[in-house]
Amino acid sequence: MDNEALYQQRFARIKKTIALEPVDQIPVVYMGNAFAPRYMGMSMAKFCADPEAALQVTMATMDKLNGFGGLDGCNLAGGGRIAPQLTTIWLSHIAEPGKELPADSLWQVQEAEVMTHDDYDTILKGGWNNFMMGYFPRVADPNDLFPALQWMGANGARIAQLYREHGYVTICDAPVMFTIPFEYLCGGRSMTKFYFDLFRMPDKIEAVMQVMLEEFLAQIAAAPVIPGTIGATWIGGWRAASALVSPKLWDRFVWPYYLKIAEAEIAKGYTPVLHWDQDWSRDLVRLQELPAGKCILNPDGMTDMPKFKKLVGDRMAMMGDIPSSILAAGTPDDVYKFVRDEVELFEGKGLILCPGCDAPINAKPENMEAFVAAAHEYGKVPA
Amino acid sequence: MTDALAAAISDLEEEQANKLVQERLAAGTSPQDILASCRDGMELVGKRYEAGEYFVSELIMAGEMFKQANAALASHFGAGGGATKGKVVVGTVKGDIHDIGKDLVVGMLKAGGFEVIDLGVDVPKEKFVEAAKDSGARVVGLSGLLTISFDSMKETVAALKAAGLPVKIMVGGGPLTEQVREYVGADALGADAQVAVRLANQWM
Repeated sequence: MDNEALYQQRFARIKKTIALEPVDQIPVVYMGNAFAPRYMGMSMAKFCADPEAALQVTMATMDKLNGFGGLDGCNLAGGGRIAPQLTTIWLSHIAEPGKELPADSLWQVQEAEVMTHDDYDTILKGGWNNFMMGYFPRVADPNDLFPALQWMGANGARIAQLYREHGYVTICDAPVMFTIPFEYLCGGRSMTKFYFDLFRMPDKIEAVMQVMLEEFLAQIAAAPVIPGTIGATWIGGWRAASALVSPKLWDRFVWPYYLKIAEAEIAKGYTPVLHWDQDWSRDLVRLQELPAGKCILNPDGMTDMPKFKKLVGDRMAMMGDIPSSILAAGTPDDVYKFVRDEVELFEGKGLILCPGCDAPINAKPENMEAFVAAAHEYGKVPA
Repeated sequence: MTDALAAAISDLEEEQANKLVQERLAAGTSPQDILASCRDGMELVGKRYEAGEYFVSELIMAGEMFKQANAALASHFGAGGGATKGKVVVGTVKGDIHDIGKDLVVGMLKAGGFEVIDLGVDVPKEKFVEAAKDSGARVVGLSGLLTISFDSMKETVAALKAAGLPVKIMVGGGPLTEQVREYVGADALGADAQVAVRLANQWM
């Protein structure tokens, strides 16, 4: 089978999985920014500095892993410079290897209170997007940040085509990507300061979030729908997790925004991918408020999978969920067992096997290879 | 709960708690007694966390309130006013610069009556050994958010054991599991800040 035929087969398999329809084989996809350069012997400094090198080493990693049984595609396409992309989500300075950090270390978010209380007023008066253009220079050199983002814009179509030529489907391929207002503000303010704000000035925070939400919804409404794509779109979450935020705060500052954004994206024809790091088990029942067969949950190994399956397994696909701790500290036998148990739990549908969040920098190569091989071995679904 | 200050802290009423601390100082209440009320409040916060009523958001807010009360009391303590249950060395291990989880544990340990030697973030194993040796601490807490912290923790645990120090070692942080605890060779997994306090109490 040539790569285009493979692509078509895999594309159909992933679409059916999202729609909770039976498949011949449970799809298995790659996700692992920092794993790729370490796996292929590239320095982290080069991976972070050279957008084309990042693309090529990710593709080489996927091709190599594909040899262990077959990869259907990837969660998010690799390529481009990771730190500038993270800056736009975390609203924090990202320390990079080869710059502030040793050449072969992992990039790291520098937690700091950059956004101020006065900034809340600025957002209320002038809007979120206007504010952001003035904010970015506080956390990144504009001469570094904006060309890196422009590179992504200029090369997006080429990257998508390259993946397709290699036979890989990119799941999150929609031209919009958000997290909820909570996460942007939490990144800019720093976690502790933002949590204080939630207690000390809840009404103002809510007003700011509403301003942000309105702009996000307008952007979703204006975004194009590209025929022939999966049309999935990433909605991240980490510090808004149920394990961190009490129900009173979560019900007011977290869930309503996921719901509104997801509903707008579904109405547009996109498939929201709730990329939820940390433990969201307490509130999984709320996912029942979303329409069936239209969304994906993409956790990081900490959310209770059996509970997800029980509460919403007949309404929403799961993309995950091999924990990073197993990939980094476990053995191939541990990986095989986890994959087997996960496949059994999902009974042949509604599951896309993927590393939880993403494969860490120090995932053992043999564990990643075992992940693909185990997915191939256990993922066949009897007709 | 009858003490108003303990109640204000446990209910996260920040202004009320600060006001009560000032009023009691002005009324001549000993700083030790005021601190004891604050610790009672923090103990209730911990119980509510364990009961699933409070979450990390509340622990962080309560920790801030306890810190404010301590700052207000600091200049009023005389010699011996800072008597504690014992010393604990805490830090985020080499290669990891995350401090939120570590700070939360430091705050809860202090509220629990321990003296904490906070080494900060990106701490090499030699610093942990040196701090444990110099302070005579009996408990060391290693924090890490990233999976790259696993090997740093393993090396730090090995260094502490090689130094022959009579310390118990706990590890904690987002991706840590019992499997990782075993991998790094620590004595216990501090799955959250409350567990860390409980372990320190057990080991003192």
